[in-house]
Amino acid sequence: MTVNRRDLLKAAGVAGALGAVWPLSVGLTPAQAREAAEQLGARYDPAPFTLGVASGDPQPSSVVLWTRLAPEPFAAEQPLPEVVEVEWTVAADPELRRVVARGKAPASATLGHSVHIPVTGLEAGRHYWYAFKALGRTSRVGRTRTAPLGNVSKVRFAALNCQAFHDGYYAAHRAVAREDVDFVVHLGDYIYEHGQVGGVPEEHVRDHDGPEVLTLADYRKRHALYKGDPSLREAHAAHPWFLTWDDHEVVNDYSGTGGGAPFMQRRAAAYQAWFEHMPHRDSFGGSALPDPEIHRVRKWGDLLELTVLDLRSYRSAQNLSDGTILGAEQKSWLKQGIDKAPDAWHVWANSIMLSQLRGRPGGSYMFTDQWDGFLAERKEVLGHVHASGLEDLVVITGDWHSAFVDDVRVDFDDTESPLVGTEFTAHSVTSGAYSADWNETNGPLMGKANPHLKYFEGNRYGYDVYEVTPERFSAHMRVIGDRRDPKSPVTTLTTFHVDRGEAGSYEDEGTKGSPAQYRRDA
Amino acid sequence: MNLVVNGDAEAGPGGTAEPVPTVTGWKVVQGAPALIDYSLGGGYPTPADPGPERRGSRFFSGGDSPRTALLQDVALPARGATGRAAVDAGRVRYAVTGWLGGYAAQEDGVRLSVEFRDSRGTPIALSVLGPVTAAERGGKTGLVERTAEAAVPPGARTARVLLVFTRTGSGTSNDGYADALSLTLSATGGRR
Repeated sequence: MTVNRRDLLKAAGVAGALGAVWPLSVGLTPAQAREAAEQLGARYDPAPFTLGVASGDPQPSSVVLWTRLAPEPFAAEQPLPEVVEVEWTVAADPELRRVVARGKAPASATLGHSVHIPVTGLEAGRHYWYAFKALGRTSRVGRTRTAPLGNVSKVRFAALNCQAFHDGYYAAHRAVAREDVDFVVHLGDYIYEHGQVGGVPEEHVRDHDGPEVLTLADYRKRHALYKGDPSLREAHAAHPWFLTWDDHEVVNDYSGTGGGAPFMQRRAAAYQAWFEHMPHRDSFGGSALPDPEIHRVRKWGDLLELTVLDLRSYRSAQNLSDGTILGAEQKSWLKQGIDKAPDAWHVWANSIMLSQLRGRPGGSYMFTDQWDGFLAERKEVLGHVHASGLEDLVVITGDWHSAFVDDVRVDFDDTESPLVGTEFTAHSVTSGAYSADWNETNGPLMGKANPHLKYFEGNRYGYDVYEVTPERFSAHMRVIGDRRDPKSPVTTLTTFHVDRGEAGSYEDEGTKGSPAQYRRDA
Repeated sequence: MNLVVNGDAEAGPGGTAEPVPTVTGWKVVQGAPALIDYSLGGGYPTPADPGPERRGSRFFSGGDSPRTALLQDVALPARGATGRAAVDAGRVRYAVTGWLGGYAAQEDGVRLSVEFRDSRGTPIALSVLGPVTAAERGGKTGLVERTAEAAVPPGARTARVLLVFTRTGSGTSNDGYADALSLTLSATGGRR
């Protein structure tokens, strides 16, 4: 399959045919577009459940189930009745014989024929299986898991981020589907909004479906394109996901506030399409669509408290003295949560880097789209962490397309400043990193410029698996061999540990010799 | 029947460009709106500018906050031709309409949305109107009509109406304007 697809790509590229085959913007009908995409590697579940199934936001007695009816993934409007009844079933076994809950929900064209089912009354800390029926067809069976209650001795979870479709196949998702994890956290850049990149097949294994996406119809098609990678659907069907987003779900480096009407139209379209394609539980707060409420706190028994942050919806412009990345309400909510946090591991799902990052000694911040563009708020929040006595804080981060491990200090410019936690920035699923030459040159420079930076590796792609016990938090960096291979095998590059009650991380002795472009404790 | 309470900005305090802390029928969830009289002048929409034919005396604006949000939870009728039985049989449609606008060539704007929810609060339908861009207003101060209609999905019990005014740039005034907001239900002959 791999070889055939590559051969096809190469043949098409040589023949100059890609412009007529892969791009879906050249007047193809939705059916032709799908056929073209499938010839070049995209693959969909049988209609109408082409985009698969998913579950999310696991709680002790509840999870959210998701699917979207899209018999024509590349159609702006689905050839379906305006409202379609969808049946759902939750069972205690994979064959769906021991049914524990079932019901019906309407799939409305106004929400892209998506359904979001908050199933309640489930038992804590166990697997369930689920499926949907509509229009006489049955979906694939998905597996989910509820959060446990009380004493928990171990939790394992994976973190994914940055999955540019054109940059590679989703071998990382394929591996995540096979991981023995309780849940998955997606840290954002689930889709990319820009147009086609070209260069197929020499530089890119595949491409976007057309020009930059702007409208609701555009964003729906883009999400449908991404879900055309079967490994992504497999990972969704295997585990419940917690979700946040970064910028590319809308547009590069955007601030959620202060934009004019054309941008606010686009933002609303992007947010709606995101909701339509995600197992997201919404409307428990004081807002409503098309402004989904993402930030939340969830517990995994007494072992782990997960705080999901939204660093896009409420942020101001960068580099303002009174700027905000959280927005006033979310900041207040976060600080209150810190004040009343239980004795547990505290994990922040944080889409974009929290730690300070200068490019070279004495140089400026590399990217002020990160928390580096919101200095006063970072100091306020981390100062509050310290003042409140919060311990065992681990921040998990995406966006950078490279792996970093940082000590989190209240004041990054002061090496005597209190150390309040550890930040693990994970490799990207596929999105392109800097070149190996850049990494080799700049890894040591960044290390020298940032005394809190302990590790940098930018030549690989993958995801993190976190293994948490009452005594230790371990971050396993899983990396794939080749983004061009949809079944690329996965290995563990290295592992870092944080001991309970001890701020700061250390690398596992067994993997300290693994390749990296910077390692403070070399 | 219009299910939106005070969708015409005529009730309660207001009349000037000064923001008001409370708005009849609405919950102010962010910022503070102003309910401005069409006769105020000063560059605000006047009776002669584009807007609803029957526009009453006042319209909503975003006040002086960068983001002002008003929310209204509407209970759908329990009985009658558009009541629960009819909704659950797929025989009810909704129409949401708003006159939305802004100032001259500026891109301040206002968005009107309605989210239908089932008895547990899960979103099951959504319509979003606006914000209207300066280009869509022809670069002129005024309000233009936006409307959407669709089937009320079986199981719908409430509708959350959200009105969000957004300011762009560094000015003080949030010049998203809204008036004549309505949500209506209609019975149809059968399931569509």
